[in-house]
Amino acid sequence: MSENVEEIPKRRRWVLTLDGWAVAAALLAALLVRAGVLKHVPW
Amino acid sequence: MADAIAVPRLEPAASSWKFLRVAPGILLLAAVGYGGKFLEQFAGGYAKAHHWTIPNIEYVLWAILIGLAISNTVGVPEIFRAGVATYEFWLKAGIVLLGSRFLLGDVLKLGGVSLALVAIEITVSIAFMTLLGRAFRLRPKLTSLLAVGSAVCGVSAIIAAKGAIEDDDEDSSFAIAAILALGALALFTFPVIGHALHMNDHAYGLWAGLAVDNTAEATAAGALYSDAAGKLAVLAKTTRNAMIGFVVLAYAIYWASRGQAGTVENKAAFLWRKFPKFVLGFLLISILATSHFFNKEQTTALANLSRWAFLLTFAGVGLRTNFRELRKQGLRPFAVGAIGEVVIAALTLGLVFGAQRFLQL
Repeated sequence: MSENVEEIPKRRRWVLTLDGWAVAAALLAALLVRAGVLKHVPW
Repeated sequence: MADAIAVPRLEPAASSWKFLRVAPGILLLAAVGYGGKFLEQFAGGYAKAHHWTIPNIEYVLWAILIGLAISNTVGVPEIFRAGVATYEFWLKAGIVLLGSRFLLGDVLKLGGVSLALVAIEITVSIAFMTLLGRAFRLRPKLTSLLAVGSAVCGVSAIIAAKGAIEDDDEDSSFAIAAILALGALALFTFPVIGHALHMNDHAYGLWAGLAVDNTAEATAAGALYSDAAGKLAVLAKTTRNAMIGFVVLAYAIYWASRGQAGTVENKAAFLWRKFPKFVLGFLLISILATSHFFNKEQTTALANLSRWAFLLTFAGVGLRTNFRELRKQGLRPFAVGAIGEVVIAALTLGLVFGAQRFLQL
């Protein structure tokens, strides 16, 4: 009996670039500030 | 043709491994950056206590100097390198967050002025660098990379152009070394020239953003002058960065027409791929700030987060600059880059003074 291996098509991976990660992190930080989770950021 | 796999691969430990790999370097960036901030306060306090009058050395310069000292003496050990390389991530996140300090009207007004000056700067820079490369008999593709690096945005532009014109690694490492070495020199010369010419913050920031090639160095050169100059330098540099796709596309088409690079099938997709997405993030935060999405305290918090991100960037600028490594890359590309940079700096200085006179910057 021959083994029939069903091939699963590989999904195109949606990979964020460095730019994308930087934008996502900055927007997340902005949302946390807006939501009051990050209330005071000292300098 | 689509690839096919029998079993999906799961790598549960991949993310935590990646984080562990960059964590030591990020901690080093934070330590160097915070060391710079501490030294600024300590030196200022010490001078005041002893009634000394010494120029205030900003944390930006301290952070870069500490980084340079480490990189050029003991070197950056392997364990820290992956994390130190994240300085570009912090730079871009910092730029996006800096959008909170710009009202959209300012962005459009100053961005419009920047855009006009950037168009002139890019055209003249590319033409001049091409002639200079020919005069010095550099390889044509190396000349293209140096022209793109000088005209648009340093290392990112060189890497983008290298792929598009199918150049070799040697040429790109020559071009990157020349741009980085000249960026390091600009950090120390631009503020001195700005003060000698009594430039105001707006004019100096615009000049730094137009003339310094790499985004990290342009941001640092602006911040070394003043906070306001740093903001303007980032805005002008971001405008320049936005042009990267168009310039690289033009070079890709040129080299393809000579049969020395692949043709670009979908130009719109090419432009989108090369477009720096952090420019969109910067504009989005600026729009949110303009529409009062954030209150005053929140805007201050975002501005401070941006400062912290830049602090890590400035530490990274120092830590990744190794003069011995840069010297190994040869004199001719450096000479072409240096002559080009001096001419571009003089040209952009003239443009800024012209804009200051006629547009009341």
